[in-house]
Amino acid sequence: MAFTRVMKAAEVPSGQPTLVVLGDTEVALFRVEDEFYAIDDLCSHAEASLSEGEQYGYIVECPRHGGRFDIRTGKAKHFPAFSPVRTFPVKVEDGDVYIDVLD
Amino acid sequence: MASKPIVNDEYQYGFNDGDVGVLKFQRGLTRQTVEEISRIKKEPKWMLDFRLHALDVFFKKPMPGWGGNLGTLNFDDIVYYVKPSENQGRTWEDVPQAIKDTFERLGIPEAERKFLAGVSAQYESEVVYHSIREDLKEKGIIFTDTDSALREYPELVREYFGTVIPPEDNKFAALNSAVWSGGSFVYIPKGVKTDIPLQAYFRINSENMGQFERTLIIAEEDSFGHYVEGCTAPIYSSESLHSAVVEILVKDGARMRYTTVQNWAPNVYNLVTKRAVAYKNATMEWVDGNIGSKLTMKYPSVYMVGEGAKGMVLSIAVAGKGQHQDTGAKMIHAAPHTTSTIVSKSISQHGGKTTYRGLVHFAPNAEEAKANVKCDTLIMDDDSTSDTIPYSEVSNANAEMEHEATVTKVSEEALFYLTSRGLSDEEATRMIILGFIEPFTRELPMEFAVEMNRLIKFEMEGAIG
Repeated sequence: MAFTRVMKAAEVPSGQPTLVVLGDTEVALFRVEDEFYAIDDLCSHAEASLSEGEQYGYIVECPRHGGRFDIRTGKAKHFPAFSPVRTFPVKVEDGDVYIDVLD
Repeated sequence: MASKPIVNDEYQYGFNDGDVGVLKFQRGLTRQTVEEISRIKKEPKWMLDFRLHALDVFFKKPMPGWGGNLGTLNFDDIVYYVKPSENQGRTWEDVPQAIKDTFERLGIPEAERKFLAGVSAQYESEVVYHSIREDLKEKGIIFTDTDSALREYPELVREYFGTVIPPEDNKFAALNSAVWSGGSFVYIPKGVKTDIPLQAYFRINSENMGQFERTLIIAEEDSFGHYVEGCTAPIYSSESLHSAVVEILVKDGARMRYTTVQNWAPNVYNLVTKRAVAYKNATMEWVDGNIGSKLTMKYPSVYMVGEGAKGMVLSIAVAGKGQHQDTGAKMIHAAPHTTSTIVSKSISQHGGKTTYRGLVHFAPNAEEAKANVKCDTLIMDDDSTSDTIPYSEVSNANAEMEHEATVTKVSEEALFYLTSRGLSDEEATRMIILGFIEPFTRELPMEFAVEMNRLIKFEMEGAIG
């Protein structure tokens, strides 16, 4: 799948995750100042939505059990999470955010 | 089969010492309770913040809708902090007489003299006595209570505290994180090995008491340590709550063993979170005996995150009248060539209920990981029940998983065989039960094995047939 436009960059809140649904894929979109990152919305540990979690800079904390992920790499940073989540390419063109959910 | 109890229903440690505390909080839990605990302990700000955050998480999280019946547990009726004495004793003489008498009756000072490397005795919310052998201290082993560790080794505590079990993990981990007090801090330096156990003893005395000890164990590379804990409480008609959090880090090539002989009074809710992380070629062993309590919900877990890590849980649960032992284990294979073993033995009698609840998880990267689970249950009469609830999550095609489970009565055939060799019915039954739990008792230090066999009294006179 190619890049798909999701929303205006200005509409993405900074420091707070946003849920984006692209086809069958639920994505948690993050903004840290002018940087944008997209990862799987589903936590790799148990069924929970990372877009409902707290964002601390480049770290998102799962609201259900407190597992943490680096939004840049998808890597698990804190137990009980240990497996990574997927990351997706994000780009901003003409003030719009595009995400490529790969397949 | 009308039988006398396999485990003596008479609880031997049900005495209480009256009100001996120097400071006892009112019942109930508020933000002030947490602030006051932190203030009394003169904690750094980061710990107070950690506690208050955990309290928010506790209030937000729903009660678990699975496991045992938590219906009569009333959080407003619990006393969250009781300070038993002004200062911690370095010798038994320093400990207040009433408390010392209790520990004498429980045999702790004698055990210390005979075979222990260090002892920590917690009474209500605080550790009242603490010692460690000089030679182990010289090797760099730290064994102290967690409150003292926070004062004396603040960097170490801050680096690891809450990293294995965050407050969000579950409602009771959040509760512990908010109101924790006491518990043990163990640090074993790189390459240091000690097979003499460090022991902690936990005693609840007051009615409606909540005990929330917090234990943190760090075994550095290629080290080995053995930690043993025991617990008892008086019998009251109302409920007490014991909710501990135990976090263990076993670094590369290290081995840690954690042995529990839980013998709470039958009015204690025992809701405990125990988790270890095993790094490359590290080994974590939980030896877990649950004899007492009204309801225990406890699933010691090992997160094997380094290649070649090993995890073991060996547990026994005995449930008598009014008791529910909802216990098990979790093995998380998060690296290649990791291996785990779970052996769970349970006995239910006189209307008691045992549940084995376990999880084996193979992450996608758990190449050639292996797990073996064995659950054996003995049901002594028609009023008693047992459930086995194993979960397996396999995300790697090359992982190997074995599960065996048996549910049995004491076999008539085995009894016949033994009685035909001249044993009485009681002797024969006792021999069968001892054989059933032997894989567990043989892993205990000798003195604990003797204690375990004493706890499991086989008063079976006229019981069979």
